[in-house]
Amino acid sequence: MVSFLRVIKFAFQDLARNISLSAMTVLILILMLLSVNTLLVIRVLTREAITSIKSQIDVSVYFENAVSQQSIDEVISFVTSFPEVIGTEYQSKEQVLEAFKKTHENDKHISEALAELKENPLGAVLIIQTRDPAEYKNIIDALSVPEYEDIIEAKTFDDTEKAIERIDMITKQVERLSYALTIFFAVIAFLIIFNTIRVAIYTQRIEIAIKKLVGATDWFIRGPYIVEAFLFSVLSTFLTAVIVFFAFRVLDPYVAAVFEQPSILTQYFFSHILLLLGGQFMAVLFLTIMTSFLAMRRHLRV
Amino acid sequence: MITLKGLTKQYNKDTLALDNISAHIGAGEFVSIVGQSGTGKTTLIKILIAEEKPTAGTVEIGGWDISGIRKSDIPFLRRQIGVIFQDFKLLPKKTVQENVSFALQVAGETQHRIHDVVPRVLDIVGLGYKADRYPGQLSGGEQQRVVIARSLVHRPKIVVADEPTGNLDAINTYEVIEILKKINEFGTTVVLVTHNREVVNSLKKRVITLHNGKIIADEQNGKYRL
Repeated sequence: MVSFLRVIKFAFQDLARNISLSAMTVLILILMLLSVNTLLVIRVLTREAITSIKSQIDVSVYFENAVSQQSIDEVISFVTSFPEVIGTEYQSKEQVLEAFKKTHENDKHISEALAELKENPLGAVLIIQTRDPAEYKNIIDALSVPEYEDIIEAKTFDDTEKAIERIDMITKQVERLSYALTIFFAVIAFLIIFNTIRVAIYTQRIEIAIKKLVGATDWFIRGPYIVEAFLFSVLSTFLTAVIVFFAFRVLDPYVAAVFEQPSILTQYFFSHILLLLGGQFMAVLFLTIMTSFLAMRRHLRV
Repeated sequence: MITLKGLTKQYNKDTLALDNISAHIGAGEFVSIVGQSGTGKTTLIKILIAEEKPTAGTVEIGGWDISGIRKSDIPFLRRQIGVIFQDFKLLPKKTVQENVSFALQVAGETQHRIHDVVPRVLDIVGLGYKADRYPGQLSGGEQQRVVIARSLVHRPKIVVADEPTGNLDAINTYEVIEILKKINEFGTTVVLVTHNREVVNSLKKRVITLHNGKIIADEQNGKYRL
Protein backbone atom coordinates (compact mmCIF):
# COMPACT_ATOMS: atom_id res chain seq x y z
CA MET A 1 0.00 0.00 0.00
CA VAL A 2 2.84 2.37 0.97
CA SER A 3 4.62 1.56 -2.30
CA PHE A 4 1.41 2.11 -4.29
CA LEU A 5 0.90 5.55 -2.76
CA ARG A 6 4.56 6.36 -3.44
CA VAL A 7 4.15 5.33 -7.07
CA ILE A 8 1.22 7.75 -7.42
CA LYS A 9 3.16 10.49 -5.63
CA PHE A 10 6.19 9.96 -7.91
CA ALA A 11 3.94 10.09 -10.99
CA PHE A 12 2.55 13.51 -10.03
CA GLN A 13 6.04 14.66 -9.04
CA ASP A 14 7.50 13.55 -12.40
CA LEU A 15 4.62 15.21 -14.26
CA ALA A 16 5.18 18.52 -12.49
CA ARG A 17 8.97 18.46 -12.67
CA ASN A 18 9.00 17.49 -16.34
CA ILE A 19 6.17 19.90 -17.09
CA SER A 20 7.33 20.87 -20.59
CA LEU A 21 7.74 17.23 -21.64
CA SER A 22 4.39 16.34 -20.05
CA ALA A 23 2.66 19.26 -21.80
CA MET A 24 4.22 18.30 -25.12
CA THR A 25 3.10 14.67 -24.71
CA VAL A 26 -0.49 15.73 -23.92
CA LEU A 27 -0.44 18.18 -26.84
CA ILE A 28 0.66 15.49 -29.30
CA LEU A 29 -2.00 13.11 -27.98
CA ILE A 30 -4.63 15.84 -28.41
CA LEU A 31 -3.49 16.54 -31.99
CA MET A 32 -3.65 12.83 -32.74
CA LEU A 33 -7.13 12.52 -31.23
CA LEU A 34 -8.29 15.60 -33.14
CA SER A 35 -7.19 14.06 -36.42
CA VAL A 36 -9.13 10.89 -35.54
CA ASN A 37 -12.17 13.00 -34.67
CA THR A 38 -11.87 14.89 -37.94
CA LEU A 39 -12.10 11.59 -39.71
CA LEU A 40 -15.10 10.73 -37.57
CA VAL A 41 -16.84 13.93 -38.68
CA ILE A 42 -16.13 13.07 -42.30
CA ARG A 43 -17.64 9.61 -41.74
CA VAL A 44 -20.74 11.03 -40.05
CA LEU A 45 -21.29 13.55 -42.83
CA THR A 46 -20.64 10.94 -45.52
CA ARG A 47 -23.15 8.58 -43.93
CA GLU A 48 -25.66 11.43 -43.63
CA ALA A 49 -25.15 12.35 -47.28
CA ILE A 50 -25.53 8.74 -48.41
CA THR A 51 -28.72 8.29 -46.36
CA SER A 52 -30.07 11.52 -47.77
CA ILE A 53 -29.36 10.47 -51.37
CA LYS A 54 -30.76 6.98 -50.84
CA SER A 55 -33.97 8.33 -49.28
CA GLN A 56 -34.60 10.38 -52.41
CA ILE A 57 -34.55 7.33 -54.67
CA ASP A 58 -37.80 5.44 -55.21
CA VAL A 59 -39.62 3.53 -57.95
CA SER A 60 -43.16 4.10 -59.12
CA VAL A 61 -45.54 1.41 -60.30
CA TYR A 62 -48.24 2.72 -62.67
CA PHE A 63 -51.46 0.72 -62.70
CA GLU A 64 -53.70 0.24 -65.74
CA ASN A 65 -56.59 2.68 -65.74
CA ALA A 66 -59.29 0.02 -65.73
CA VAL A 67 -57.81 -2.21 -63.05
CA SER A 68 -59.98 -2.94 -60.00
CA GLN A 69 -59.18 -1.69 -56.50
CA GLN A 70 -59.02 -5.32 -55.34
CA SER A 71 -56.20 -6.06 -57.79
CA ILE A 72 -54.36 -2.90 -56.70
CA ASP A 73 -54.70 -3.87 -53.00
CA GLU A 74 -53.36 -7.32 -53.91
CA VAL A 75 -50.25 -5.76 -55.48
CA ILE A 76 -49.76 -3.37 -52.53
CA SER A 77 -50.05 -6.26 -50.08
CA PHE A 78 -47.61 -8.31 -52.18
CA VAL A 79 -45.07 -5.45 -52.33
CA THR A 80 -45.23 -4.62 -48.60
CA SER A 81 -44.61 -8.28 -47.73
CA PHE A 82 -40.99 -7.85 -48.84
CA PRO A 83 -38.71 -7.17 -45.85
CA GLU A 84 -36.54 -4.83 -47.91
CA VAL A 85 -39.52 -2.48 -48.52
CA ILE A 86 -39.43 0.27 -45.91
CA GLY A 87 -42.29 2.40 -47.24
CA THR A 88 -45.04 2.71 -49.86
CA GLU A 89 -47.20 5.58 -50.93
CA TYR A 90 -50.40 4.84 -52.84
CA GLN A 91 -51.99 7.52 -55.03
CA SER A 92 -55.48 6.78 -56.33
CA LYS A 93 -56.56 7.61 -59.91
CA GLU A 94 -58.30 10.74 -58.63
CA GLN A 95 -55.24 11.91 -56.69
CA VAL A 96 -53.03 11.32 -59.72
CA LEU A 97 -55.44 13.31 -61.92
CA GLU A 98 -55.53 16.16 -59.41
CA ALA A 99 -51.75 16.25 -59.24
CA PHE A 100 -51.52 16.12 -63.03
CA LYS A 101 -53.95 18.99 -63.39
CA LYS A 102 -52.07 21.03 -60.83
CA THR A 103 -48.77 20.42 -62.56
CA HIS A 104 -50.21 21.47 -65.93
CA GLU A 105 -52.64 24.15 -64.80
CA ASN A 106 -50.92 26.71 -66.99
CA ASP A 107 -50.94 24.46 -70.04
CA LYS A 108 -54.09 25.39 -71.95
CA HIS A 109 -53.92 22.47 -74.42
CA ILE A 110 -53.71 19.83 -71.72
CA SER A 111 -56.52 21.42 -69.71
CA GLU A 112 -58.77 21.44 -72.84
CA ALA A 113 -57.87 17.85 -73.72
CA LEU A 114 -58.74 16.72 -70.20
CA ALA A 115 -62.03 18.58 -70.31
CA GLU A 116 -63.01 16.81 -73.53
CA LEU A 117 -62.41 13.43 -71.95
CA LYS A 118 -65.35 12.34 -69.89
CA GLU A 119 -63.42 9.76 -67.86
CA ASN A 120 -60.18 9.94 -65.93
CA PRO A 121 -57.54 8.57 -68.34
CA LEU A 122 -54.89 8.09 -65.69
CA GLY A 123 -54.23 5.06 -63.52
CA ALA A 124 -53.30 4.80 -59.84
CA VAL A 125 -49.63 4.93 -58.79
CA LEU A 126 -47.70 3.08 -56.10
CA ILE A 127 -44.40 4.65 -54.94
CA ILE A 128 -42.06 2.14 -53.32
CA GLN A 129 -39.02 2.78 -51.12
CA THR A 130 -36.54 0.10 -50.10
CA ARG A 131 -33.72 0.05 -47.49
CA ASP A 132 -31.11 0.10 -50.21
CA PRO A 133 -31.32 1.20 -53.84
CA ALA A 134 -29.79 -2.12 -54.89
CA GLU A 135 -32.93 -3.89 -53.64
CA TYR A 136 -35.29 -2.22 -56.11
CA LYS A 137 -34.40 -4.76 -58.76
CA ASN A 138 -35.72 -7.63 -56.60
CA ILE A 139 -39.09 -5.88 -56.18
CA ILE A 140 -39.39 -5.00 -59.84
CA ASP A 141 -38.43 -8.55 -60.88
CA ALA A 142 -41.08 -9.91 -58.52
CA LEU A 143 -43.68 -7.64 -60.13
CA SER A 144 -42.64 -8.59 -63.68
CA VAL A 145 -44.67 -11.81 -63.73
CA PRO A 146 -47.51 -12.73 -66.15
CA GLU A 147 -50.32 -12.37 -63.58
CA TYR A 148 -49.47 -8.67 -63.10
CA GLU A 149 -49.01 -7.93 -66.81
CA ASP A 150 -52.61 -6.74 -67.18
CA ILE A 151 -52.58 -4.78 -63.94
CA ILE A 152 -49.30 -2.84 -64.12
CA GLU A 153 -48.90 -0.51 -67.02
CA ALA A 154 -45.33 0.65 -66.36
CA LYS A 155 -42.52 0.88 -63.84
CA THR A 156 -40.04 3.77 -63.64
CA PHE A 157 -37.25 1.45 -62.64
CA ASP A 158 -36.13 0.83 -66.19
CA ASP A 159 -35.32 4.54 -66.54
CA THR A 160 -33.58 4.94 -63.22
CA GLU A 161 -31.86 1.58 -63.00
CA LYS A 162 -28.54 2.89 -64.25
CA ALA A 163 -28.68 5.96 -62.00
CA ILE A 164 -29.44 3.78 -58.98
CA GLU A 165 -26.61 1.41 -59.85
CA ARG A 166 -24.26 4.35 -60.17
CA ILE A 167 -25.28 5.91 -56.84
CA ASP A 168 -24.99 2.53 -55.20
CA MET A 169 -21.50 2.10 -56.62
CA ILE A 170 -20.42 5.61 -55.54
CA THR A 171 -21.74 5.20 -51.99
CA LYS A 172 -19.98 1.85 -51.65
CA GLN A 173 -16.73 3.40 -52.88
CA VAL A 174 -17.09 6.32 -50.46
CA GLU A 175 -17.68 3.88 -47.58
CA ARG A 176 -14.64 1.84 -48.60
CA LEU A 177 -12.52 4.99 -48.79
CA SER A 178 -13.74 6.01 -45.36
CA TYR A 179 -12.72 2.63 -43.91
CA ALA A 180 -9.32 2.83 -45.59
CA LEU A 181 -8.82 6.34 -44.17
CA THR A 182 -9.78 5.09 -40.70
CA ILE A 183 -7.15 2.36 -40.86
CA PHE A 184 -4.60 4.81 -42.24
CA PHE A 185 -5.26 7.31 -39.43
CA ALA A 186 -5.21 4.54 -36.82
CA VAL A 187 -1.75 3.46 -38.00
CA ILE A 188 -0.50 7.07 -37.95
CA ALA A 189 -2.01 7.56 -34.48
CA PHE A 190 -0.29 4.41 -33.22
CA LEU A 191 3.07 5.54 -34.63
CA ILE A 192 2.71 9.04 -33.14
CA ILE A 193 1.83 7.70 -29.68
CA PHE A 194 4.56 5.08 -29.85
CA ASN A 195 7.19 7.64 -30.76
CA THR A 196 6.00 10.26 -28.25
CA ILE A 197 6.12 7.83 -25.33
CA ARG A 198 9.40 6.34 -26.55
CA VAL A 199 11.03 9.79 -26.62
CA ALA A 200 9.60 10.62 -23.18
CA ILE A 201 11.05 7.41 -21.74
CA TYR A 202 14.34 7.77 -23.62
CA THR A 203 14.94 11.16 -22.00
CA GLN A 204 14.63 9.45 -18.61
CA ARG A 205 16.70 6.36 -19.38
CA ILE A 206 19.55 7.39 -17.06
CA GLU A 207 17.15 7.93 -14.16
CA ILE A 208 15.59 4.54 -14.81
CA ALA A 209 19.04 2.93 -14.65
CA ILE A 210 19.91 4.80 -11.43
CA LYS A 211 16.67 3.67 -9.79
CA LYS A 212 17.52 0.09 -10.71
CA LEU A 213 21.02 0.40 -9.24
CA VAL A 214 19.63 1.77 -5.98
CA GLY A 215 17.48 -1.35 -5.61
CA ALA A 216 14.11 -0.44 -7.10
CA THR A 217 12.08 -3.27 -8.59
CA ASP A 218 10.87 -3.07 -12.20
CA TRP A 219 7.31 -2.44 -10.98
CA PHE A 220 8.38 0.36 -8.66
CA ILE A 221 10.00 2.06 -11.66
CA ARG A 222 7.23 1.27 -14.14
CA GLY A 223 4.43 2.26 -11.75
CA PRO A 224 4.77 6.04 -12.07
CA TYR A 225 4.92 5.76 -15.87
CA ILE A 226 1.68 3.76 -15.88
CA VAL A 227 0.01 6.36 -13.67
CA GLU A 228 1.38 9.10 -15.93
CA ALA A 229 0.03 7.27 -18.98
CA PHE A 230 -3.36 7.19 -17.27
CA LEU A 231 -3.20 10.90 -16.47
CA PHE A 232 -2.05 11.75 -20.02
CA SER A 233 -4.96 9.71 -21.41
CA VAL A 234 -7.54 11.37 -19.13
CA LEU A 235 -6.23 14.86 -19.86
CA SER A 236 -5.89 14.43 -23.62
CA THR A 237 -9.30 12.73 -24.02
CA PHE A 238 -11.06 15.34 -21.90
CA LEU A 239 -9.43 18.34 -23.62
CA THR A 240 -10.07 16.80 -27.05
CA ALA A 241 -13.74 16.27 -26.16
CA VAL A 242 -14.05 19.93 -25.14
CA ILE A 243 -12.40 21.12 -28.37
CA VAL A 244 -14.50 18.76 -30.50
CA PHE A 245 -17.73 19.84 -28.77
CA PHE A 246 -17.08 23.53 -29.48
CA ALA A 247 -15.93 22.76 -33.03
CA PHE A 248 -19.21 20.85 -33.62
CA ARG A 249 -21.20 23.79 -32.27
CA VAL A 250 -19.44 26.08 -34.73
CA LEU A 251 -19.80 23.67 -37.68
CA ASP A 252 -23.44 22.67 -37.08
CA PRO A 253 -25.10 25.69 -38.79
CA TYR A 254 -23.04 25.10 -41.95
CA VAL A 255 -23.87 21.38 -41.94
CA ALA A 256 -27.54 22.17 -41.31
CA ALA A 257 -27.61 24.37 -44.40
CA VAL A 258 -26.59 21.38 -46.54
CA PHE A 259 -28.61 18.59 -44.94
CA GLU A 260 -31.64 20.65 -43.85
CA GLN A 261 -31.39 19.10 -40.41
CA PRO A 262 -30.28 21.07 -37.33
CA SER A 263 -27.41 20.09 -34.97
CA ILE A 264 -26.39 16.86 -36.73
CA LEU A 265 -22.87 16.93 -35.28
CA THR A 266 -23.80 18.03 -31.76
CA GLN A 267 -26.56 15.41 -31.65
CA TYR A 268 -24.08 12.79 -32.82
CA PHE A 269 -21.61 13.96 -30.14
CA PHE A 270 -24.14 13.55 -27.32
CA SER A 271 -25.69 10.33 -28.60
CA HIS A 272 -22.23 8.74 -28.91
CA ILE A 273 -20.50 10.48 -25.98
CA LEU A 274 -19.72 7.29 -24.08
CA LEU A 275 -18.37 5.57 -27.15
CA LEU A 276 -16.40 8.66 -28.19
CA LEU A 277 -14.86 9.43 -24.79
CA GLY A 278 -14.63 5.85 -23.55
CA GLY A 279 -13.35 4.39 -26.80
CA GLN A 280 -10.76 7.08 -27.36
CA PHE A 281 -9.66 7.02 -23.71
CA MET A 282 -9.26 3.24 -23.70
CA ALA A 283 -7.39 3.31 -27.02
CA VAL A 284 -4.97 6.04 -25.87
CA LEU A 285 -4.50 4.38 -22.47
CA PHE A 286 -3.82 0.99 -24.03
CA LEU A 287 -1.36 2.45 -26.53
CA THR A 288 0.49 4.63 -23.99
CA ILE A 289 0.85 1.83 -21.44
CA MET A 290 1.82 -0.73 -24.07
CA THR A 291 4.41 1.58 -25.66
CA SER A 292 5.85 2.63 -22.30
CA PHE A 293 6.26 -1.07 -21.44
CA LEU A 294 7.99 -1.75 -24.74
CA ALA A 295 10.14 1.39 -24.57
CA MET A 296 11.21 0.77 -20.96
CA ARG A 297 12.13 -2.87 -21.42
CA ARG A 298 15.63 -2.20 -22.72
CA HIS A 299 16.38 0.54 -20.14
CA LEU A 300 15.40 -1.80 -17.30
CA ARG A 301 18.09 -4.31 -18.23
CA VAL A 302 20.55 -2.91 -15.67
CA MET B 1 31.61 -11.22 3.92
CA ILE B 2 32.65 -11.34 0.22
CA THR B 3 34.15 -14.50 -1.28
CA LEU B 4 35.33 -14.74 -4.87
CA LYS B 5 36.20 -18.18 -6.22
CA GLY B 6 37.75 -18.60 -9.67
CA LEU B 7 35.84 -15.53 -10.86
CA THR B 8 36.10 -15.00 -14.61
CA LYS B 9 34.39 -12.50 -16.85
CA GLN B 10 34.84 -12.67 -20.59
CA TYR B 11 32.92 -10.08 -22.68
CA ASN B 12 33.95 -11.53 -26.03
CA LYS B 13 36.67 -13.65 -27.58
CA ASP B 14 39.29 -10.90 -27.22
CA THR B 15 38.16 -9.22 -23.98
CA LEU B 16 38.88 -11.07 -20.76
CA ALA B 17 38.05 -8.59 -17.98
CA LEU B 18 38.60 -10.93 -15.00
CA ASP B 19 40.72 -14.04 -15.21
CA ASN B 20 40.08 -16.69 -12.55
CA ILE B 21 40.42 -14.48 -9.46
CA SER B 22 39.86 -15.68 -5.92
CA ALA B 23 39.82 -13.63 -2.71
CA HIS B 24 38.02 -13.29 0.57
CA ILE B 25 37.08 -9.99 2.19
CA GLY B 26 36.08 -10.31 5.83
CA ALA B 27 33.38 -8.41 7.72
CA GLY B 28 34.51 -4.93 8.78
CA GLU B 29 37.52 -4.85 6.45
CA PHE B 30 38.57 -1.81 4.42
CA VAL B 31 39.99 -3.06 1.13
CA SER B 32 41.33 -0.97 -1.72
CA ILE B 33 41.29 -2.54 -5.16
CA VAL B 34 43.81 -0.87 -7.41
CA GLY B 35 44.95 -1.28 -10.95
CA GLN B 36 45.38 0.57 -14.18
CA SER B 37 42.42 1.37 -16.41
CA GLY B 38 40.95 -1.69 -18.08
CA THR B 39 42.23 -4.20 -15.52
CA GLY B 40 38.76 -5.30 -14.45
CA LYS B 41 38.14 -3.16 -11.35
CA THR B 42 34.81 -1.78 -12.53
CA THR B 43 33.79 -5.19 -13.88
CA LEU B 44 34.33 -6.61 -10.39
CA ILE B 45 32.09 -3.89 -8.89
CA LYS B 46 29.44 -4.59 -11.56
CA ILE B 47 29.49 -8.27 -10.66
CA LEU B 48 29.17 -7.45 -6.95
CA ILE B 49 25.96 -5.46 -7.60
CA ALA B 50 24.71 -7.98 -10.22
CA GLU B 51 24.96 -5.50 -13.06
CA GLU B 52 27.03 -8.16 -14.82
CA LYS B 53 27.05 -11.93 -14.46
CA PRO B 54 30.33 -13.84 -14.23
CA THR B 55 31.27 -16.12 -17.09
CA ALA B 56 32.73 -18.64 -14.62
CA GLY B 57 33.40 -18.94 -10.88
CA THR B 58 31.30 -17.84 -7.95
CA VAL B 59 30.72 -14.73 -5.84
CA GLU B 60 29.29 -15.03 -2.35
CA ILE B 61 28.09 -12.05 -0.35
CA GLY B 62 27.24 -12.85 3.26
CA GLY B 63 26.94 -16.52 2.27
CA TRP B 64 24.60 -15.76 -0.64
CA ASP B 65 25.91 -17.05 -3.97
CA ILE B 66 24.98 -14.29 -6.38
CA SER B 67 26.77 -15.66 -9.46
CA GLY B 68 23.51 -17.08 -10.83
CA ILE B 69 21.19 -14.59 -9.13
CA ARG B 70 17.61 -14.44 -10.41
CA LYS B 71 16.48 -11.16 -11.98
CA SER B 72 13.76 -10.76 -9.36
CA ASP B 73 16.31 -11.05 -6.52
CA ILE B 74 18.64 -8.35 -7.83
CA PRO B 75 16.79 -5.41 -6.14
CA PHE B 76 17.06 -7.20 -2.77
CA LEU B 77 20.81 -7.67 -3.24
CA ARG B 78 21.30 -4.02 -4.17
CA ARG B 79 19.40 -2.87 -1.09
CA GLN B 80 21.98 -4.66 1.04
CA ILE B 81 24.99 -3.01 -0.58
CA GLY B 82 25.71 0.70 -0.57
CA VAL B 83 27.25 1.77 -3.85
CA ILE B 84 29.16 4.99 -4.47
CA PHE B 85 29.73 5.80 -8.13
CA GLN B 86 32.34 8.03 -9.67
CA ASP B 87 29.68 9.77 -11.81
CA PHE B 88 27.40 10.15 -8.75
CA LYS B 89 24.28 8.71 -10.40
CA LEU B 90 21.91 11.06 -8.60
CA LEU B 91 18.35 11.56 -9.80
CA PRO B 92 18.47 15.08 -11.28
CA LYS B 93 14.76 15.85 -10.82
CA LYS B 94 14.79 14.90 -7.13
CA THR B 95 16.14 17.03 -4.28
CA VAL B 96 19.02 15.94 -2.05
CA GLN B 97 16.57 14.72 0.58
CA GLU B 98 14.45 12.87 -2.02
CA ASN B 99 17.52 11.21 -3.54
CA VAL B 100 18.56 9.86 -0.15
CA SER B 101 14.97 8.93 0.77
CA PHE B 102 14.58 7.02 -2.49
CA ALA B 103 16.93 4.26 -1.27
CA LEU B 104 14.57 3.68 1.66
CA GLN B 105 11.37 4.13 -0.35
CA VAL B 106 12.30 1.36 -2.80
CA ALA B 107 12.72 -0.93 0.21
CA GLY B 108 9.21 -0.06 1.43
CA GLU B 109 10.34 1.78 4.59
CA THR B 110 7.67 3.80 6.38
CA GLN B 111 7.45 7.54 5.93
CA HIS B 112 7.95 7.98 9.65
CA ARG B 113 11.29 6.15 9.56
CA ILE B 114 12.38 8.04 6.44
CA HIS B 115 11.65 11.38 8.14
CA ASP B 116 13.64 10.20 11.12
CA VAL B 117 16.70 8.74 9.39
CA VAL B 118 17.34 10.89 6.31
CA PRO B 119 18.01 14.24 8.06
CA ARG B 120 20.41 12.50 10.43
CA VAL B 121 22.37 10.89 7.59
CA LEU B 122 22.47 14.20 5.72
CA ASP B 123 23.86 15.84 8.85
CA ILE B 124 26.58 13.16 9.05
CA VAL B 125 27.77 14.07 5.52
CA GLY B 126 27.36 17.78 6.31
CA LEU B 127 24.53 18.49 3.89
CA GLY B 128 21.55 18.90 6.20
CA TYR B 129 21.23 22.55 5.25
CA LYS B 130 21.09 21.72 1.54
CA ALA B 131 18.38 19.06 1.77
CA ASP B 132 16.01 20.90 -0.58
CA ARG B 133 18.57 21.62 -3.29
CA TYR B 134 18.71 19.69 -6.56
CA PRO B 135 21.92 17.85 -7.57
CA GLY B 136 22.53 20.42 -10.30
CA GLN B 137 22.77 23.11 -7.63
CA LEU B 138 25.60 21.31 -5.76
CA SER B 139 29.35 21.12 -6.29
CA GLY B 140 30.98 17.80 -7.29
CA GLY B 141 32.14 17.18 -3.71
CA GLU B 142 28.67 17.86 -2.34
CA GLN B 143 27.07 15.57 -4.89
CA GLN B 144 29.45 12.79 -3.91
CA ARG B 145 28.52 13.31 -0.27
CA VAL B 146 24.84 12.95 -1.21
CA VAL B 147 25.74 9.66 -2.92
CA ILE B 148 27.50 8.53 0.25
CA ALA B 149 24.44 9.49 2.31
CA ARG B 150 22.23 7.50 -0.08
CA SER B 151 24.53 4.48 0.13
CA LEU B 152 24.52 4.59 3.95
CA VAL B 153 20.93 5.40 4.71
CA HIS B 154 19.71 1.79 4.70
CA ARG B 155 22.61 0.73 6.94
CA PRO B 156 24.27 -1.69 4.52
CA LYS B 157 26.85 -4.19 5.72
CA ILE B 158 28.99 -3.52 2.64
CA VAL B 159 29.78 -0.23 0.90
CA VAL B 160 31.33 -0.45 -2.53
CA ALA B 161 32.94 2.74 -3.84
CA ASP B 162 33.90 2.83 -7.51
CA GLU B 163 36.46 5.62 -8.04
CA PRO B 164 34.56 7.91 -5.61
CA THR B 165 37.24 10.59 -5.78
CA GLY B 166 37.80 10.43 -9.53
CA ASN B 167 35.99 13.71 -10.20
CA LEU B 168 36.98 15.54 -7.01
CA ASP B 169 39.67 18.01 -6.00
CA ALA B 170 42.15 17.30 -3.17
CA ILE B 171 40.01 18.77 -0.37
CA ASN B 172 36.86 16.95 -1.42
CA THR B 173 38.85 13.75 -1.93
CA TYR B 174 40.15 14.01 1.62
CA GLU B 175 36.62 14.59 2.99
CA VAL B 176 35.15 11.63 1.10
CA ILE B 177 37.93 9.28 2.27
CA GLU B 178 37.47 10.47 5.85
CA ILE B 179 33.75 9.64 5.63
CA LEU B 180 34.54 6.18 4.24
CA LYS B 181 37.02 5.59 7.08
CA LYS B 182 34.37 6.62 9.59
CA ILE B 183 31.83 4.25 8.01
CA ASN B 184 34.37 1.47 8.29
CA GLU B 185 35.02 2.29 11.95
CA PHE B 186 31.33 1.63 12.62
CA GLY B 187 31.85 -1.93 11.30
CA THR B 188 30.80 -1.62 7.68
CA THR B 189 32.91 -3.47 5.13
CA VAL B 190 34.29 -0.97 2.59
CA VAL B 191 35.53 -1.94 -0.86
CA LEU B 192 37.25 1.01 -2.48
CA VAL B 193 38.16 0.85 -6.15
CA THR B 194 40.62 3.56 -7.05
CA HIS B 195 43.81 4.41 -8.88
CA ASN B 196 44.61 7.35 -6.61
CA ARG B 197 48.05 6.51 -5.28
CA GLU B 198 48.00 9.05 -2.41
CA VAL B 199 44.66 7.87 -1.12
CA VAL B 200 45.73 4.21 -1.10
CA ASN B 201 49.06 4.91 0.54
CA SER B 202 47.52 7.16 3.21
CA LEU B 203 44.94 4.56 4.20
CA LYS B 204 47.44 1.90 5.29
CA LYS B 205 44.80 -0.80 4.78
CA ARG B 206 44.59 -3.98 2.72
CA VAL B 207 45.31 -3.48 -0.99
CA ILE B 208 44.42 -5.91 -3.80
CA THR B 209 46.21 -5.13 -7.04
CA LEU B 210 44.69 -6.20 -10.35
CA HIS B 211 46.56 -6.41 -13.62
CA ASN B 212 45.11 -7.73 -16.86
CA GLY B 213 42.20 -9.25 -14.96
CA LYS B 214 44.37 -11.15 -12.47
CA ILE B 215 45.24 -10.48 -8.82
CA ILE B 216 48.96 -9.80 -8.79
CA ALA B 217 49.21 -8.65 -5.16
CA ASP B 218 47.09 -8.86 -2.01
CA GLU B 219 48.72 -7.20 1.00
CA GLN B 220 47.59 -6.08 4.44
CA ASN B 221 48.80 -2.49 5.06
CA GLY B 222 49.56 -2.44 1.37
CA LYS B 223 50.74 0.32 -0.92
CA TYR B 224 49.99 1.41 -4.46
CA ARG B 225 52.66 -0.43 -6.41
CA LEU B 226 51.85 0.16 -10.08
